[in-house]
Amino acid sequence: MQKTILIVDDEPDIRDSVKIILETNGYKVETAVDGDDCLKKINELKPDLILLDIMMPGTPVDEVIKKIKDIKIAFMSVVRISEARKKGLCKQENIVDFFQKPFNVSDLIDRVGLILEK
Amino acid sequence: MQKEFNIKNLLYSKINRKLTLLFLIVGFVAPTLTIFYFYTVAVSSFPENVFAEQISLLGIIAIMTVVLISINAGIIGFFVSRSISKPIKKLYNATLELEKGNYETKVDIKTNDEIEELGHAFNLTTATLTKMEQERKEIDNAKTEFLSITSHELRSPMTPMKAQLQMLKEGYFGKLSKKQKESLSIIIRNADRLDNIIADFLEISRIEAARLKFDFRETDVTQLIKDTIAFMQGFANEKNITLVKEIKNLPLIKADPDRISQVLRNLINNAIKFSDENNKIEVSAELKNDYIMFSVRDYGCGLSSENQIRIFEPFYQVENSTRRKHGGTGLGLTICRGIIESQKGKIWVESQLGKGCKFYFTVPLTPVIDIEPIKMLFSQKDVMERKIHEEFKIVLGPLGEVEFNELKNKNALNKDDLIKYIDSLTGLYILVPEKSEDFKNKIREIFGEEKETIIKKKNEILCDNKLEGVLK
Repeated sequence: MQKTILIVDDEPDIRDSVKIILETNGYKVETAVDGDDCLKKINELKPDLILLDIMMPGTPVDEVIKKIKDIKIAFMSVVRISEARKKGLCKQENIVDFFQKPFNVSDLIDRVGLILEK
Repeated sequence: MQKEFNIKNLLYSKINRKLTLLFLIVGFVAPTLTIFYFYTVAVSSFPENVFAEQISLLGIIAIMTVVLISINAGIIGFFVSRSISKPIKKLYNATLELEKGNYETKVDIKTNDEIEELGHAFNLTTATLTKMEQERKEIDNAKTEFLSITSHELRSPMTPMKAQLQMLKEGYFGKLSKKQKESLSIIIRNADRLDNIIADFLEISRIEAARLKFDFRETDVTQLIKDTIAFMQGFANEKNITLVKEIKNLPLIKADPDRISQVLRNLINNAIKFSDENNKIEVSAELKNDYIMFSVRDYGCGLSSENQIRIFEPFYQVENSTRRKHGGTGLGLTICRGIIESQKGKIWVESQLGKGCKFYFTVPLTPVIDIEPIKMLFSQKDVMERKIHEEFKIVLGPLGEVEFNELKNKNALNKDDLIKYIDSLTGLYILVPEKSEDFKNKIREIFGEEKETIIKKKNEILCDNKLEGVLK
């Protein structure tokens, strides 16, 4: 069955690029522009994975992730996050990976593949 | 440091002794002479019988008057001297504070004279200094902030840009011709390079703002070095270079293994770049008093004395360097310095042209609690020159000023030349051997060498001297 991925990022160029990459590799891709938009859309879309930018306007990401219980989340961040903060963030069980921007396209595909196989 | 309270010191500090003494003497001698004069006049002019009744009373009054006047004069002297010496002492103490960098020092002098004016002028000066210091701090913070923000802002557009470039190359939008692929490779390579520079700038801005994150945890340094070497061996294989390790039993320490590994990888990477093929690189670590000293030694082209100082500066290029061939951002060693110095460690290099380099760095056994901001963008050379200048003035006095400038003109302010110069001073009997040894140690310290190695060297020299003595 085709898996659905929700991309949440406030930058349209990043949303579009990631969308094309993932669509080309056989996923169904939806986008949201920020945390609130993401929360609105998940009930209807029921994505298998959310690619969530860590810094966005509106509700802080820390708040957003608390409201998402049973969907896998992978963070994307342009800021280098220290190991200590990563540990803190990954406490929640459904947080599965962490992508450093700028990412490598083939690396992104590989890791998303691994996450959704499980 | 709190000085112990002592009433004697307190009184002495308030009294200008000489001035008070002068008042006391004048206050004693002058009335004594006058009263003695009146006394003799009185004695000679009164009839004897009248005077005999009054003589004792008159004598007591005369002595009392003298004593009272001299005490009065003494008290006046005390206050006069205090009014002069106390405000001057105040001013002196305030300038000492100023020297320590405490620009908010104010003096409160109310003597209604030139000293008060001087105190007022002093306060105006410190007010200006305070303002300038504040401005300097603001500019410094703004610079760090600006560096950090621009780096982030620069990095954001890199994400879609690099993604789209890779997509193009991977054929997401159709097949590319050979020429198009080549062109794209060049763009991608340079986009990567730009991104690396931006990432390094971000790192530097973090170090400067003391925002570098350390994750101190129990670390097995031996294993850490083994892992790092195993990782780097892959790169070394391209030039058929062997990585050799020499580790003397190290304890488990509390440190940030990722940061240590980052510095090691950087140094090994440099060593590989500047080594010829089929060579070897030695990585060692040993326990010193309260730190572990790491070193990476290569047998490459080596560094001149001038370059040894400047190699840690951002974007510093070794002359005739083949950096373009080698790649890299030119910020690697600067970041290494920042990482090490943020943890209160030291990093330095020993080298001889044509004989390779040995980079040292130290990591304290107990991690620092407060990470301090490290100035990365200042030229190391200027800072060192200032220190050497100071040292010259301390050891050689006014002569040091002249000598320093002469050496500077000769471009001889590097470690080897300075040591040679100090030896020549000893040879000319300008410095006694002990003093010159201290001088040399100070110079070595300025160049970043750890005390431990300095002491070791001192012992070696002593041993050598003894040996020579025995041989003779």
